[in-house]
Amino acid sequence: MNANDAPANARAADGYFLRAENITKVYSDGTVALREATLEIHPREIVGLLGENGAGKTTLTKILSGLLPPTSGRVTSPKGVVRFASPREALDFGIGMVHQHFALVGTFTATENVALSHERPFARIRLDQARERLEGLMKESGLHVPLDVPVEKLAVGEQQRVEILKVLSRGVRLLILDEPTSVLTPLEVDELFLLLRRLRDAGTSIILITHKLKEVQSVTDRIVVLRRGELVGDVKTSTATTERLAQLMVGRAVEGESTAVELSAEQLPRAGARSKTGSSGESILHVADLVAKGSTGDVAVDGLSFDVHAGEIFGIAGVEGNGQSELVECLTGLRRAVSGIATIKGTDILGKDPREIYRLGVAHIPEDRWRLGLVLPFTLAENAILGVHRWKEFRGPLSFMRWGRINRHVRELMDRFEIQATGPNAPAKSLSGGNQQKLIVGRELAKNPAIVVASQPTRGLDIGAAKYIRDLLVEMRNNGRAILLVSADLDEVLALADRLAIMYEGRFMTECAPTDLNRQQIGMLMGGVERKEVV
Amino acid sequence: MSEQAGPTQSRLLRGVHRTVTGLHPALESMLAALIGLLVGAALMYMWGFNPWKAYWALLRGAYGGSYEWASTLARATPLILTALTFSVCVRAGMFNIGAEGQMFMGAMAAICVALFKMPPGIHLIVGLLFALIAGAAWSIVPAVLKITRGVSEVISTIMFNWIARWLALYIAIFILVDPSRAEKTLTIPVSARFPILVRGTDFSYSFFLAIFAALVLYFVLWHTTMGYEVRAAGLNPTAARYGGIRNKRTMIVSFLLGGITAGLAGATVVMGMPPSYAAFGGGAFPELTNIGFDGMAVAMVGRNHPIGIIVASVLFGGLNAGGRVMQFYGSNPVPLEMVRIVMGAIVLAMSIPELIRLVPAIKSQGERLIATLRRHGRPASKEGSA
Repeated sequence: MNANDAPANARAADGYFLRAENITKVYSDGTVALREATLEIHPREIVGLLGENGAGKTTLTKILSGLLPPTSGRVTSPKGVVRFASPREALDFGIGMVHQHFALVGTFTATENVALSHERPFARIRLDQARERLEGLMKESGLHVPLDVPVEKLAVGEQQRVEILKVLSRGVRLLILDEPTSVLTPLEVDELFLLLRRLRDAGTSIILITHKLKEVQSVTDRIVVLRRGELVGDVKTSTATTERLAQLMVGRAVEGESTAVELSAEQLPRAGARSKTGSSGESILHVADLVAKGSTGDVAVDGLSFDVHAGEIFGIAGVEGNGQSELVECLTGLRRAVSGIATIKGTDILGKDPREIYRLGVAHIPEDRWRLGLVLPFTLAENAILGVHRWKEFRGPLSFMRWGRINRHVRELMDRFEIQATGPNAPAKSLSGGNQQKLIVGRELAKNPAIVVASQPTRGLDIGAAKYIRDLLVEMRNNGRAILLVSADLDEVLALADRLAIMYEGRFMTECAPTDLNRQQIGMLMGGVERKEVV
Repeated sequence: MSEQAGPTQSRLLRGVHRTVTGLHPALESMLAALIGLLVGAALMYMWGFNPWKAYWALLRGAYGGSYEWASTLARATPLILTALTFSVCVRAGMFNIGAEGQMFMGAMAAICVALFKMPPGIHLIVGLLFALIAGAAWSIVPAVLKITRGVSEVISTIMFNWIARWLALYIAIFILVDPSRAEKTLTIPVSARFPILVRGTDFSYSFFLAIFAALVLYFVLWHTTMGYEVRAAGLNPTAARYGGIRNKRTMIVSFLLGGITAGLAGATVVMGMPPSYAAFGGGAFPELTNIGFDGMAVAMVGRNHPIGIIVASVLFGGLNAGGRVMQFYGSNPVPLEMVRIVMGAIVLAMSIPELIRLVPAIKSQGERLIATLRRHGRPASKEGSA
């Protein structure tokens, strides 16, 4: 097939393989994911793409691999401008991406999966040829997988190798890997890196997306750092220090400077918001040695212990996907913990369902308002009582709903929490994102809770709505409630938290006051550098 | 990329798209009924019948007078109940196809009242209780299978329909059989029959039972906490769980409610349909067969809303009643099967708005396919020359 000859031509002696010029990407909801990013990829190099959540790493690689069109800017090769309408076109050009979630058919063998990826619609599948080609490729790359076992029976590391083989068999010259190590054991990581170096020496360019500082330093030749859609650094790995990378990744703070200075006035809650340290009251939430597994069966929460006291905001920062979601789900009854202790005011909550946990005075602002927080086709009123619909106030004899009281309650919520809507009967999906979130926050805070578990409470909101919700959390704290704030937005955690923990791979890297560390140190901790090496 | 194709043409398409997808649900249903009738008319025309005459006969046979209305509403009665079965489960997020089987079990249970004597009225109520318990019991098994073993309720209810049908046949032939007439079951005694509402017709008080059931379900779904939980779990099970709702419970509740109404549907047929007041195992249950499945169509046209279902049942009951007149209408005898064709076309037309809502997705898929074919569909000759 012609899949192999095109990239061979494209590889010119010109010095670079692919160049992204002034790429800007604005999503349809107005989010600017990338701003004028320019990046050059050379043959025979491993480029590390480093950045926090939402920095634009994935968007940039999706544009390079044809999954997304850029809003402006262009991608060029030495032969001219290239434009990809689909990942298949990008593959034909020689660019392949291995995603975090594998695209493999579980019941098929490695051979069948690779053959499947090659076939055109309505074409005959030739398994023997695919197998021959695969065996050749395995010998060439030193990448070995069992060919005749259904891939669902393989270890995750092996599945990843099948995925890499699948892409390599298309003759790619640029291999993009999205957080490839997040699912691997340390030994598998070493093997992967060995393989990547071998592929590089054979002439392939590799882009490695990651937020782990150590890994990016150990395997790459060049490191590109993105922050909030902007390309803020492009450094040779040999000259980059961990401190410098962390600094590039999380912000501009000069070494040693206090983090609180970083907060702009508009993001800062009402004056005098921060409580004096030590003024916090009794422990409301107590967690000890909590272990929980993620959806794929890997350990997501790895023996966490902490307390959240009345009258304080305990913030958990960290790159998303390091176990924060699983932790929150365990504490709110949505996930079963493997082992450990979690109590609210002394009552054990592990193994209880959400209804029982709410009864103990827990309010939960979920991370995903569409999936968890709201029933979108329901009206405002119906959503405003989700979770409290069994309260005596709203439930009459024979479990009849007291719509009169419910509507009065909704109007109060709308007034108190500034929810813009046509009325209690407006469908929740007709509200803007900010108003939807205010509805959720209002509903939860109106429960008069002892503790608020707030997960990514301001994600995707405009500045006004975000500030409003942050103010509410601070107000709750000042009223003596305990607040557990989990957020990938470092600024938010730094601005609100009285105490701070940084989560990495299911563990806390540190637990301290937000003023104890500067941004660079926090960045290193978020990237998995141990505390003792940081300070 | 794809947004740039043909501005005027796509504007027109977009206009049509917006008009159809923006329709009120009730209008969509009416449009579907109209399309169904048009399809029927086209077929009649092709086979040499006069559609006008046929539909005129059907209309008069269905809604032409008090006798006709009585006949239509009598046929609507069990359909309302089985439609409720389907719709309450749809509201809970499940696809319960088991109304047919539950209805059969309800009918058989109701016939059991012929085995003993009781005062009038109480006898009837006992029969209804038998029927609703039997329907609920038949319904609960697929629900429990789903909750405990993850068995798809679609598959299990279809299989339970067949079990119920043959079990009912066995019961009708070997257990509850009328010793003097082997083709039918025992006759329901007068004390357990629904009184006739309009003399000389088969329209009985069972109609009010169906209306009552629809109203009860309306109140349960929209005015009780239980119904709120069922609807929340149906629309977003994850959010429902977050809201402290136990989804397994809502599944059981919806299947129980559905089983109860389906069981009652069976009872209204055998206890409320003169002159036989029995089930005919010998004829493979002509009077019961398909009531469960037609109920699904009624539920779809009625938009799974109890009030909409009552309206839609009048349409389907009318088609059934009027069709019997249509087939004997003098010079233009259109076979009764045409009514079923119209019903089928209505159900198909009901899915058109959904289809149109899929237009953007279909369009982009099509464009991708065409692009792929254009790139790779050309024969190998081009590659050879390159």
